[in-house]
Amino acid sequence: MLSIRNLTARIGENDVLKGIDLEIKAGEVHAIMGPNGSGKSTLGKVLAGHPAYEVTGGEVLFDGRNLFELAADERARAGIFLGFQHPIEVPGVSNASFLRLAYNKKAESQGRDELDPLEFDDFIQEKIRLVKMDGSFLDRSLNEGFSGGEKKRNEILQMCVLEPRLAILDELDSGLDIDALRVLGEAVTSLMAPDRALMIITHFPRILETIQPDQVHVLSAGRIVRTGGMELALELEERGYDWLKAEVAPAGRA
Amino acid sequence: MAAVMERPLLPAILAQPRPAGWEPRRRQAEARLETLDWPGTRQEAWKYTDLAALKALDFTPGALAMVDITARILPEARGSRLVFVNGRYDSHHSNTSNLPAGVRLLNLASASELAHELGSLPTPGGTDPFAELNTARFQDGALVIIPKGIHLEAPLHVLYLSDQDGGQATCSLPRLFVVLERDASATLVEEFQGRGRYLTCAVAEVIVKENASLSHERIQRESAEAFHFSSLAARVERDGQYSCRTITFGGSLSRSTPQITLAHEGANLTLEGLCLLDDAQLADTHSFIDHTVPRCISRQTHKTIADGKSLAVFNGIIYVRKDAQNTDAQQQCRGLLLSTQARVDAKPQLEIYADDVKCAHGAAIGQLDPEAMFYLESRGLRPALARNLLTYAFASDLLAGIPVPSLKRQLRQTVLARTNAEHLETLP
Repeated sequence: MLSIRNLTARIGENDVLKGIDLEIKAGEVHAIMGPNGSGKSTLGKVLAGHPAYEVTGGEVLFDGRNLFELAADERARAGIFLGFQHPIEVPGVSNASFLRLAYNKKAESQGRDELDPLEFDDFIQEKIRLVKMDGSFLDRSLNEGFSGGEKKRNEILQMCVLEPRLAILDELDSGLDIDALRVLGEAVTSLMAPDRALMIITHFPRILETIQPDQVHVLSAGRIVRTGGMELALELEERGYDWLKAEVAPAGRA
Repeated sequence: MAAVMERPLLPAILAQPRPAGWEPRRRQAEARLETLDWPGTRQEAWKYTDLAALKALDFTPGALAMVDITARILPEARGSRLVFVNGRYDSHHSNTSNLPAGVRLLNLASASELAHELGSLPTPGGTDPFAELNTARFQDGALVIIPKGIHLEAPLHVLYLSDQDGGQATCSLPRLFVVLERDASATLVEEFQGRGRYLTCAVAEVIVKENASLSHERIQRESAEAFHFSSLAARVERDGQYSCRTITFGGSLSRSTPQITLAHEGANLTLEGLCLLDDAQLADTHSFIDHTVPRCISRQTHKTIADGKSLAVFNGIIYVRKDAQNTDAQQQCRGLLLSTQARVDAKPQLEIYADDVKCAHGAAIGQLDPEAMFYLESRGLRPALARNLLTYAFASDLLAGIPVPSLKRQLRQTVLARTNAEHLETLP
């Protein structure tokens, strides 16, 4: 589904990604772990098309198409979803209206019927149960005044509405308590299907107890330095990241 | 003085005989006008507002003409509507059948003694020649007195319509004076609209007495060729609440000058402005909030969306006098530029002479937030739609508090259309 080959990217003068290779097949869950500043979030933003990052080399194929030929909104309609680490507050736009707009724009591009407000209301009620969100959040402005946890819940609600083929969740676990993390983890897991895939970007292995990864990749200084299974995540929990840096550094100099 | 005047201000209007009444104030205003030259950009108050286009035109006094007000009717105000056409009272389209008993409604032009006793100022705004012109020559106006303890259920809708006369540009000089006695409360909607080329020089005065509460909406939808000057002077007394919102859509050149005096302790003011500009429109807001006594609160928010080659000017002074301890004043000015040629000149000012106050102000002018754009695009919204949605959102919070549902709906539609976001009809 997603092939990343020797991807390099920078923001401003800063080279952040220095050659990423990664293959994600339909039905798989991949975890991207790594210390702060290793390029985890950048990878997510580059894949989603954030305009501040410049791709300087390599290629990314999504379902065989060159991802970089698509603008951010086209990628979204093609099925890529980025769950933001820090979702943006948009005062003056109601959450429910925004969700319906996003749903309908995607439906339109796929030739499906759009939902009118009443139909959408039935649809969304089912989704908010999935993420255990209080219905009053639908009437509020998009993310405005939401706590960190409420924003994350809203990200997963958007994911439930858009049902992406590839969801990239950037530090879903930050700002969430254990119960909320379990609820959202279960909601995310319930959206998995053989034709969908997940990329979980995280600092901590806890979220991976609910969303079981097929592969765990460790990013350091813009490269994947190790790939393994859940046991790698557990090892990181035990030992931290420093031992990896120490191991990798000599190779980096070579 | 006369020797240095390049051209007298609006000679055809001043050549009209002085209407009866309002003496000696009309005579005094006229005398001041004779010494005043056209305001020029060398004066601080007119620095960015060039009147050259206005100077080149002649205006004749407007007359009562046939109008169609259907599109402007507010269902909530069917029985509490005053209509002025070209500055003349239109009794046919006005309807005050639903005003509660005790509410007094008079023609301001023939009630100068009472107006004076109630505290009307000769000319609010000091040296503003357009307000002086109104004082010197206004022919019809409304004096509304809401008596003690009366709550006006329906909004009072004052509609000012203007129309050019054949090919001739006209001039309207409407005037309004509203007094809320102790414990009274009301909603007032002033709305300006017109066709063709004309000049409006409007004056409104408001007095909110002890513990009274007024919500005042001023909607400026003048024609694209119109010139509009509106002077507002308000005084808020002990524990009075005054909330005033000016929404500017129209006019080739418009200027709004709200001057609000917080005159007794506990007075509370919310002053809001929203300007949506395009093409070569110029909209100028010069506000003055005068904290004269302790323990008053003021909140000012001014927002502009400027597209095309438009120019928005905001000059807002919050003046805290020496005795006005424990003043709580906040002023915020925000501008959104949608084109590279649009401009917002903002000058928020705090002048504080008291030492124990809580005052803050800020100005932020810029483009749409790229992070917010990316967020919406990452959910599949095309860039144009994301831009329109964010533009609408920028304006919409100032519409949320409008207490007249039909007016709020109308204004939302106008703002949606102006931001090309019509299809977002279900947004809050």
